Amino acid sequence: MKSTLERNLWFSRMGIFVLALIGIGFTGSTQVVNAANTYEIDTAHSMIIFRAKHNGVTYNYGRFNAFTGEITMDEDVSKNTVEFEVKAASVDTGNEKRDQHLRSPDFFSAKQFPVITFKSTKVDMKEGKEDVLEVTGDLELLGVKKSITVDVEITGRGEGRQGESLIGFESVFTINRSEFGMTYGVGSVSDDIRLIVTIEAKEK
Amino acid sequence: MPIKQLVLGLLLPTIVGGGILIFARSFAPKKYATVGYEKEQDGFAGWLIAAALGAGYIIGYLGLEGLPVFPPRLGTQWLCYLAIIGLILASFWHLAVWGPVAQIAISIIIPRLLLTSTFKYTWGPIEGIIWWVGLAVVIFMFWYIVEGSFSALPVGAPGPFVYCGLSGGTALILALSGSLRLAQHAGILVALFAASWMITLVLHRDRKWFVFPSSASPIVTLLLIGIWMNGYFFAEVPAVSAILLVISLFFVHVKQIKVVQGFGTRHSTLVQIAAIALPVVIAIGIAIARSGLFGDDSGY
Repeated sequence: MKSTLERNLWFSRMGIFVLALIGIGFTGSTQVVNAANTYEIDTAHSMIIFRAKHNGVTYNYGRFNAFTGEITMDEDVSKNTVEFEVKAASVDTGNEKRDQHLRSPDFFSAKQFPVITFKSTKVDMKEGKEDVLEVTGDLELLGVKKSITVDVEITGRGEGRQGESLIGFESVFTINRSEFGMTYGVGSVSDDIRLIVTIEAKEK
Repeated sequence: MPIKQLVLGLLLPTIVGGGILIFARSFAPKKYATVGYEKEQDGFAGWLIAAALGAGYIIGYLGLEGLPVFPPRLGTQWLCYLAIIGLILASFWHLAVWGPVAQIAISIIIPRLLLTSTFKYTWGPIEGIIWWVGLAVVIFMFWYIVEGSFSALPVGAPGPFVYCGLSGGTALILALSGSLRLAQHAGILVALFAASWMITLVLHRDRKWFVFPSSASPIVTLLLIGIWMNGYFFAEVPAVSAILLVISLFFVHVKQIKVVQGFGTRHSTLVQIAAIALPVVIAIGIAIARSGLFGDDSGY
């Protein structure tokens, strides 16, 4: 009798263990990105900030207020894609006169080139680093398309209020604006511009 | 303005343009003022005056921007090519058929080339065609007015003075409208016309030879139109200011009014210059008002 009871108890314990494993498996699969999920950038919780040195003395910061983008995350990292479109006229440095100058042909020429775009061409995991992607893509600014490679850190994954899947990224990189033909005032405004891109994207 | 830009954008074109103008003087007919405008424009001296403006601008462009990119992408990059096109046209301007054909063709082509991105991003197909036709007509008419102004303005200093003022007004409006780079390009023209004006004043006593030949009209027209189009379509030049700049030269014909002719040569020339200057001054005033120059948010 005792052995039958023990055996039943053993089976019921194993059953709970298996169910628990399956449960963990399911939970785990929500944390690991599903195959080819498409995420849309949540602009309210994302920022594109840039930094330039003025007169070789101080760093001035600015941001772009209007941008859109889409990210595709696949289990096969090499199939991941990133696309961005930034409205050049949305440049905001907290000074309207300066913003007007930045929108002019001296800098972003926002009327002639209304959008700045980025489209990835290759995505890899960064060697030796967990949750860091190495994204290569074409950055088009002032009509000049240049291939750049940037490190993108996956800053987190989670769920939104409606249970939608969220994913966060951050990338800090530097470009030389003169390489894109933005040569005005190099010297008083630094050639190298640091960009800080922090993104929250939700599953479509 | 940094010293480098002052030297490369103003001093260098002044030296090159002024040098060619002084060189041109040695080829000018001695009694040019009485020989007449039409004869002079066929001569080598006339071509040299056009070349002085074209070469002077190109030197200034190279000083400010470096070698031009081909094909040009930015509106400002087109300006160097407009000067080159102007120089080529100037070389063949004496051929009777060439002038009007080139005027029509260039007036049609320029808006399409310069405003490629505006056609692409801003205008729909119908709107684009309306703008294209409108701009082609404006360029053609402005070209006609520029060519006419060379003979309508008195021989000597008034010609370069008027164009110096027009370019200066353009530079000021562009600077007020947020594009210092374009203002520098207008500044090159100011330097060139100022050099012509100074040379004319200095040489005026012994020889009243100076006048802009009609072969200079492609260079002057294309550069002014190119800078204004950049200013209006790509910078923030107010529409009214742009229109006033374009129509200002039309008032060169005020001298043909009999009442004005009755003022005598000297005073009628002053009225003529004042009539051209008035729309430019109003255009500057509008640009100042729009810029908030004297407001709280006046600088950064």
